[in-house]
Amino acid sequence: MNLDYIIQISGPMLEGARTTILLFLIVIVLSIPLGMLVTLMAKSRLKPLAWIAHTYIYVMRGTPLLLQLLFFCFGLPQIPVIGEYLVFDRFVAACLGFVLNYGAYFAEIFRGGLLSIDKGQHEAAKVLGLSKWQTLRKVILAQMFRVALPAVANESITLVKDTALLYAVAVPELLNYAKTAVNRDFTVTPFVVAGVIYLLMTLVLTLFFKGLEKRFKFE
Amino acid sequence: MSSMIEVQQLQKSFGSLDVLKAINFSVSPGEVVAVIGPSGSGKSTMLRSLVHLEEVNGGSILIHGKPLVQNGKYAAAADIRKITSTMGMVFQHFNLFPHLTVRGNLELAPRTLKRESTEVIAARSLELLAKVGLADKADVYPSLLSGGQKQRVAIARALMLNPDILLFDEPTSALDPELTGEVLRVIRTLAEENMTMIIVTHEMSFARDVADRIFFMENGEIAESGTPEQIFGNPQLERTRTFLNRD
Repeated sequence: MNLDYIIQISGPMLEGARTTILLFLIVIVLSIPLGMLVTLMAKSRLKPLAWIAHTYIYVMRGTPLLLQLLFFCFGLPQIPVIGEYLVFDRFVAACLGFVLNYGAYFAEIFRGGLLSIDKGQHEAAKVLGLSKWQTLRKVILAQMFRVALPAVANESITLVKDTALLYAVAVPELLNYAKTAVNRDFTVTPFVVAGVIYLLMTLVLTLFFKGLEKRFKFE
Repeated sequence: MSSMIEVQQLQKSFGSLDVLKAINFSVSPGEVVAVIGPSGSGKSTMLRSLVHLEEVNGGSILIHGKPLVQNGKYAAAADIRKITSTMGMVFQHFNLFPHLTVRGNLELAPRTLKRESTEVIAARSLELLAKVGLADKADVYPSLLSGGQKQRVAIARALMLNPDILLFDEPTSALDPELTGEVLRVIRTLAEENMTMIIVTHEMSFARDVADRIFFMENGEIAESGTPEQIFGNPQLERTRTFLNRD
């Protein structure tokens, strides 16, 4: 492993890392609100809504993410009649798959957070004259996010690594560049460099969530 | 119309179990009522039904003469909110909001309901914290308080909305014995200020001291009621006597 070579391949690999980071940000920003919405649907008194939410969670958690990605990238256009309207850029299709998959996991994480909140919190808020919606916003959600934070951090780090699945649907990203360099240059160095870049990304996330946990310690 | 709370034939059951069987009583302005009785006698359920934390199956509850429930039929949701908003409640397990500071706990409801300016609310929260002896804890989170301090914060929080009736559901039962005194002192101060209160409690000597009237509940009924002198000095029923001697 010589330094010149590492510097030479780092440029294109960081280019690939940009796709990784972009995917990560899009998925986080969209799947967390989606998860929130699905959690509220699952707890809804309207049975059809709850049923849709539970089915959605079951399907997205019960099948491999890779299968879902292949389905969204290559399967959608082949659906009869509507398929021709479902031809997306592969990156967009992959984003869709990731958002739907992670939304289901976040929904389950938030549901767990909600379960941890004592019913006395609802009662205290009710007696103080807050409506259900005010109670949810001002009392329940804040506590739910706090409880869910470690699990959300864990899920985010998993997401960084899952972005490597883009490789399977041929969207060029970090791992893709590494594999190309390995094949071209007959050296394992690019894999090591890729590993270090993933580690750096997860390190940033770890520190970020540690900071958040400290900030919301409520002590 | 002279009574603050009027309860008639209140009745509630869980399945085949009758938790409340035809309860009748009324509470006058400024009166302090202590409710005693064995566990499972329906004390908490009765108290909670007054603020609509429990739904009853029959009977009436009138607060300031306005029906919360009449002959088992509840008022409209908006009316229920309006009627119960004149009452504050203090719980056995405090139920403070752990994600808010002490001050945040006090100010959440008034700020959300927006009936007063922020300055008025902030001034009152400090004033009430001083009243319960916790002015120095305004910016502390509840997790750092002792049980007695938490319960005093809960009382201050209940007072923030200027209720004219305060309900206490075993306010000292979750506290270490050495911490009950500070909470009882605050309740006693409120009694001296003529706050109308119903206190479900196991603290017999406190009930005797602070209450104008005692309800002895057993089996979903108010078995006996009277002044502390009558109930503690000369109980009419054998079961009241048995309960008091057991403690």
